[in-house]
Amino acid sequence: MSDHPSNGERNPAPDADGMSRRSFLRMSAVFGSGLAALAAGLSPLRELQNFPSLDEFMQKYYKELTPAEMEKVLKRIELEVERQYGIRPHVRDLKPIDGVEFAYCLNLTRCIGCRKCVHACVAENNQSRSPEIQYIRVLQMQNGSMDMEKAVHDYNPEKVPEKGHFYMPVQCQQCKNPPCVKVCPVHATWQEPDGITVIDYNWCIGCRYCEAACPYWARRFNFTKPTIPKDRLNPNMDYLSNRPRPQGTMEKCHFCLQRTRAGRYPACVEVCPTGTRKFGNVLDPNSEVSYILKNKRVFIQLKEELGTSPRFFYYFDV
Amino acid sequence: MKESERTSIVLTIITGAFAVLTVAFLFNIWGHTAPLPQIPLVDPAFIQTKTVRTSYAELAASKQDLSDFDCYGCHEKGKPPILRFDDKHILVVPEEHKDIVMGHGRNNRNNLCTNCHDENNLEHFQTRDGRELKFSESSQLCGSCHGPTFRDWNAGAHGRTSGHWNREMGAFTRKDCVSCHNPHSPKFPGRQPAPAPHTLHFTGKPSPSAEGEH
Repeated sequence: MSDHPSNGERNPAPDADGMSRRSFLRMSAVFGSGLAALAAGLSPLRELQNFPSLDEFMQKYYKELTPAEMEKVLKRIELEVERQYGIRPHVRDLKPIDGVEFAYCLNLTRCIGCRKCVHACVAENNQSRSPEIQYIRVLQMQNGSMDMEKAVHDYNPEKVPEKGHFYMPVQCQQCKNPPCVKVCPVHATWQEPDGITVIDYNWCIGCRYCEAACPYWARRFNFTKPTIPKDRLNPNMDYLSNRPRPQGTMEKCHFCLQRTRAGRYPACVEVCPTGTRKFGNVLDPNSEVSYILKNKRVFIQLKEELGTSPRFFYYFDV
Repeated sequence: MKESERTSIVLTIITGAFAVLTVAFLFNIWGHTAPLPQIPLVDPAFIQTKTVRTSYAELAASKQDLSDFDCYGCHEKGKPPILRFDDKHILVVPEEHKDIVMGHGRNNRNNLCTNCHDENNLEHFQTRDGRELKFSESSQLCGSCHGPTFRDWNAGAHGRTSGHWNREMGAFTRKDCVSCHNPHSPKFPGRQPAPAPHTLHFTGKPSPSAEGEH
């Protein structure tokens, strides 16, 4: 306090602490307005919502959850989705099937670049519509070249295919040697025995290392809370795949785990009008993918020189 | 005295500044980010799993109108239709069948109805090796010429397969050739592409392509 009682007769009588009434008022005005400014500065916190519940916050790592705990977690997610979207989903935790390793084959001769797979994937996997998250990117390539630098992804002619081009859809390649898994500092992403690299959305810290590590640009980040229209929510959900993701987590193609672990084809295979996309169990010698790998001109795994060894094969018709 | 006045002034200024900050924070005068442009929802037609055509077998199975396949509603039994050709030996498609585009094979190599249709029984097909096939067995007919494709189709490597990859867990269907190909003009028709991805720095129109920038 700069006011000294001895400083002059105009100052009112100081109280016992050596503080005059005036200086007290002055100081409280400063202190009060400072508090008000601080409170106002923090006021955007009022708009914070979707705090995780204690159960969600304290939830264990996916691999450490006992079946009984998993049951509870799935219940909680179902209730949470119902609260937010008004639809009671069916959330499961499907496990890999014994003796199954998935592989995906894509026929570059047949793809016409119509992008139906992109949007079927968005619908099936409850991806954010705006801002947009899409797992599949269809590249329009120059005939006779594999130069992805020259590829165009936002072509929009009246009709596809266009002359002089072929189309190469790229999505998660489900590598046998996945760089994204190696860089994850918290083990929130890992490879399952059936070959699908999955993400525990509750364990992901959103550091985006995996996005940087992936040579196929296959991983997507939820910068905002995903927006999914209520009437387009797919209620068939799985813990590791298409349940609505929280803000700040990574996501990517998971071969429609909620469908394929129940024996069905992925959504992109079902919607493809030209039969370009083929999916199956590579360990079954009679599956479509085994036939293709044995008999067709399977010429690339994308960027195979990187040693990631994708389970996603591109081939041409002979 | 002098010191005390200075203190007063400083404290008043600080108080004023805090008051301004309070108002500024409360009304959020600098915090308004422009709202992100709303990306329109995609037309549900783009996520339909229907094939581009409907085969005879599918029409029959769903009990739809099969009058197009009732040849003897107009033709006379036991009287093979007479084919007419123009001066370049190209088949003249009669008025009654003018919806048919003869485009099977390049250079009019497949310029004859009876290559596939049986002239003696129009409701049947005939293969080059003399088999008689029903309309619902059209894929066998296609396979009688397109051997490698038929082989791939049988193995599931050509064409659409829907349902279950795991045949123990559920059924699957393999679409017929004519579910996707028009038998008279089999080249797969071009179609409108679904909307392009909206890039991160969305401006309302697609960003210039990578090709354009180089």
